[in-house]
Amino acid sequence: MIDPIWLIIGGASAIAFYMAWSIGSNDVANSMATAVGAKAITFKQAVIIAGVLNFVGAVFVGSHVSDTVRKGIITTTSIPNDILLLGFVASLLAAAIWVTLSTWKSMPISTTHSIIGALMGFGIIAGGFSAVQWGEVGRVTSSWILSPIAGCILAFFIFKIIVKTIFAKERPVKSAKIVGPIIFGFTAFLIVSSLFLKTCLSKTFNISNVHTIIIAFLSAVIVALIGIFLLRNIKEKGPEDYATVESIFRKLQVGTSCYVAFAHGANDVANAIGPVASIIPLAQGLSIGDQVMVPTWLLALGGIGIAFGCMTWGRRVMQTVGKKITSLTNTRGFSVDFGAATTVLICSKLGLPISTSHTVVGAVIGVGLARGLEAVDLSVIKKIVVSWAITLPVAAGTSIGIFLLLKTIVGG
Amino acid sequence: MNDENHIRTPVADTFRRKSPFGQLFEHMCKVKECVCILGDGVEKYYKGDYKDFSNVAEKVSKLEHEADLIKSNIRNHLPSHLFMPVDKGKFMWALREQDAILDHADNLVNMLDMRHTKIPKELQNLFIEHCKLVVKTVEAMEDAVCNLRDLVETSFVKREREQTKEFIYKVHEFEYKADIKKYEMTKGIYKLEKKLNPMDVYHLLKIADWVDDIADHAENVADWLRAMIAK
Repeated sequence: MIDPIWLIIGGASAIAFYMAWSIGSNDVANSMATAVGAKAITFKQAVIIAGVLNFVGAVFVGSHVSDTVRKGIITTTSIPNDILLLGFVASLLAAAIWVTLSTWKSMPISTTHSIIGALMGFGIIAGGFSAVQWGEVGRVTSSWILSPIAGCILAFFIFKIIVKTIFAKERPVKSAKIVGPIIFGFTAFLIVSSLFLKTCLSKTFNISNVHTIIIAFLSAVIVALIGIFLLRNIKEKGPEDYATVESIFRKLQVGTSCYVAFAHGANDVANAIGPVASIIPLAQGLSIGDQVMVPTWLLALGGIGIAFGCMTWGRRVMQTVGKKITSLTNTRGFSVDFGAATTVLICSKLGLPISTSHTVVGAVIGVGLARGLEAVDLSVIKKIVVSWAITLPVAAGTSIGIFLLLKTIVGG
Repeated sequence: MNDENHIRTPVADTFRRKSPFGQLFEHMCKVKECVCILGDGVEKYYKGDYKDFSNVAEKVSKLEHEADLIKSNIRNHLPSHLFMPVDKGKFMWALREQDAILDHADNLVNMLDMRHTKIPKELQNLFIEHCKLVVKTVEAMEDAVCNLRDLVETSFVKREREQTKEFIYKVHEFEYKADIKKYEMTKGIYKLEKKLNPMDVYHLLKIADWVDDIADHAENVADWLRAMIAK
């Protein structure tokens, strides 16, 4: 006979895998679509990049946000362990159902908002209002407003920098060959420092923060120099050769789309595996606080789920979205990718679960405000706010319902 | 929006399927084609060759109609929540004036076709020169509008704005020359008024006006373009 604990863990992992699949097939594909739409990469390349780098991001940087999801929203000490166990299963299920439903209805909701809403709902019903850590919830929800704004501001400035240092110059191609790799080196700096600042890697290799900065700086310089070296043979085909500038950024955008995938994995993997990370110690009779780190195999499971989602259903999403955003050129796509990914990565390091898709939208609007796009439809902001307002109560309500149902079944 | 696809696509929702600038260029292509046909047709007409003119009139009318469809398509798809890098009002005015070129061209060919008025030998050259200047005005306007592409690509950097301004000066220059020609034509017509029958005088004066109107509207497009790119 199989131990029921393993049944619970297995079941929860299955739902988590489904959530990860759903994130990979929809959200990741959405954010990769800026590169596909700008024709920097093909669908096939996008799927491979998204698969591999989401996995890397999830495994190496995913633990911060997962920690917030598993013990930041609800006060785990005031609720008995068996109730907590049911509650996390209920929240996960509720979020999965809501995500599936909204995907079916094509509503731009966020998986992050669903899972946090579901956890809050369960917390309120299980332990009263005091069981929810409102301070932390406040920090998280304010990050949902701030992250699109941050994406917007970053994309705005990166695009302005590109305009001022490349397009405004007498010889744009010549400038692009230097400025492009430098911005890209800066990207490398952010990625490398995120990999080694307070992660399992820094512990394994015993790297201090100061060393991390040095390593990150060196890799940034190396990446920038390699970039300049690789682009050295590109010649301008005449005055005002903007097409060549775009083609340089097409190459760079391959890199930033990796950046997006990496940041995405780091943040969104938590939506799928955060609750499971709580369930496992509970099912084993431990309390949540006992375990210091989210188990790596779980992060890997989430990473594989996301990669799998991207490979199966993600292709269709990328095709649909890519077709719609063909007016996005590479300099714009680069700015969007950079603004969004940087915001997502910083939030991941701060342990803030945010919506990647909404941040990408913020970044697109940022480039639009910098007069970089022919037309930006601002009605999307309203749609996002509405989806926000619906998701929290609905996910919370569903979670409460499922929790009560499970409690009756188990307790009855 | 994508109900049959069952996906959540907030990123795609921020974009328009067709860019308003792309459609403005599409509309301009119709103007270009039309003015090209018109220029040749009117020159032949001035020389007394009315054989193919009905054909020209038909072609111009067809182009005018096609352009009208593009214009209403742009106008119907610029909701208030759409953010553009230029003032939407000015953009619409430029489009409107660009469309007015076609309206006047259409009017001109139909009026010319209704009554075949012989241009007096003494004025023939003047008329042809005027027509050529008007066509040149429109062509200069086309160059100015085309440069919008580079302006958008570079996010309106100074160099491109200066370039567009130069194109706009050219439009003004040609329009000014066309105006002067028109006064010479009118003077010429009045000089011959005793010789010509009154109906001919009337139609000749009208032709001068109608042709010149096209240049006026090309200039208006350029002016709105100038306002659009002003800092």
